[in-house]
Amino acid sequence: MKFTNRQFGELEFEESHVVTFPDGLIGFERFRKFLIVDDEATEPFRWLVSVEDGGLSFPLLDPALLLPGYAADAATGGGKTVFVVATLRGATGGSTVNLRSPLVIDNTARTARQVVLDDEGLPLQFPLAPASPAPAGR
Amino acid sequence: MLILARKAEEEIRIGDNIVVKVLGIHNGQVKLGIDAPRDMRVVRGELYRDIKQANVEASQADRDAAARAAAGLKRPTSS
Repeated sequence: MKFTNRQFGELEFEESHVVTFPDGLIGFERFRKFLIVDDEATEPFRWLVSVEDGGLSFPLLDPALLLPGYAADAATGGGKTVFVVATLRGATGGSTVNLRSPLVIDNTARTARQVVLDDEGLPLQFPLAPASPAPAGR
Repeated sequence: MLILARKAEEEIRIGDNIVVKVLGIHNGQVKLGIDAPRDMRVVRGELYRDIKQANVEASQADRDAAARAAAGLKRPTSS
């Protein structure tokens, strides 16, 4: 099957690669069917790309790159992959990931949910990089 | 909107498997207990709104921004 995305142009995919979010993402409940697209140009960011709306995509990160052991509970049962959704701001710094409500994908059923973790200490905007130090004088 | 008056310890049932119970009312704050299936999202309205906002912002990213952020991630942090 084929569809066209604003960022990636025409994408061809197998029905079996589609990940279904029965409840959609929070605030985007109408959109259920997505692909997870690897992108060499933006690696390690991957993309959650809507099959239903050619303008809709979300950058994802593997939280293990940031926080080993994060959301271990959410992935219990095995066969699950956890991604966090990134918000990208500016050329450097300012970008964040949402640790409070990650995406949990069941790799076998090819279904996924955006869960809300109980830990109220988890930030919705966790900085991707520590604040850059002031430029050093020379 | 359906409006129901409830006292402490009283419940409301929604469908077959959702129960909302008023546990107590103190100083203008209502404490609710909610029983719902695990796969049903139960979340405070403010948090829902904030997560939605985060998703909306995330959806505005493009590949250029991601490539720049990726470069920032890979750059060794010097101090």
